[in-house]
Amino acid sequence: MKLEENRYFKAVVKDAWPYTVGAVLLALLNITLFIANGSPWGVTTPFVYWAAWIHETLVGPVRDWVYFNNPTHLKALDLTFFTHGGSLMNLGIIIGALFTSLAASQFKIRKIKSFRQVIAAIVGGLLMGYGTRIAFGCNIGAFFSGVASFSLHGWVYTIFIFAGAWIGSKLLVKFFM
Amino acid sequence: MAEYRLDCLGEACPVPLLKTQKKLAGLNVGDMLIVEIDHSCAMKNVPEWARKEGHNVEIEETGDGEWEIYIEKVK
Repeated sequence: MKLEENRYFKAVVKDAWPYTVGAVLLALLNITLFIANGSPWGVTTPFVYWAAWIHETLVGPVRDWVYFNNPTHLKALDLTFFTHGGSLMNLGIIIGALFTSLAASQFKIRKIKSFRQVIAAIVGGLLMGYGTRIAFGCNIGAFFSGVASFSLHGWVYTIFIFAGAWIGSKLLVKFFM
Repeated sequence: MAEYRLDCLGEACPVPLLKTQKKLAGLNVGDMLIVEIDHSCAMKNVPEWARKEGHNVEIEETGDGEWEIYIEKVK
C-alpha cells in the first residue's frame, strides 16, 4: 500500500486536523510557553525589534523613542535574532508550516492573479502592522494570549476585531467579487 | 446536466467560497460545477458549505497544493 493511502498518514499528515485538536494543542503549548518563558505567546512585537535592530545598525539609536520607554522593549534592543525567544519562535512557525505543507505534498508557490491582489496585500499589511502597534498585539498577543490570561483587553480586542472583519468583508466583496 | 468550471487558482479565502456560492446560484439542478483551488482552507470551507446546502461533493487532489472540488447541484 502506498504511504498516501495509509489511514493514519492521511489523518495526521495530509488532512487538516479538527479545530478541537488544534485548540487543545494551542492551549497546552501556550501554558508550556508561559511556564518556560514567563510571558504568553506573541507574534508581532518581534517584528518591531527586527526593525529596531536594523535601524540601530544602519541609521541610528531608537532608545529615546517613546515606545522603548517600556523596560521590556528597551531590554530587547540589546538582544539579537538568535538570542531573542520571540524571534526564534516566529522562525519556528515558518519552518514548521513549510515542513507541514511539504510533508503533505501541498507546497505550492501560488501565482499572483492580479495587480489588485498586490495592492490589497501591501495596504492590508501596512494596516495590520499599524494596528498591532496601537493595539499592542495581534490575534495572538492581544486576543489569544489576552483572553487566556483573563485580561479584559482580550475581550475588548475581540469586539473590535469583529467590527474590523465586517468592514473588511464588505471591502473584499466590493473589490474582489 | 451541463458542466461548468470555476477557476479560483491564486485566490485566497474567502474568495473561492464567495465565487462558488455566486456561480452555483445561477446553475440548474443537476448541473456540475468544478471549482479549481490552490488554497488549502478553501478545501475545507467550500465542501463544508456545499454539503450543508445538500449538494453532492467530491474532492480530487490534482497536483501538489491543487484541488478540484466537484459539486453537483441537487436542489
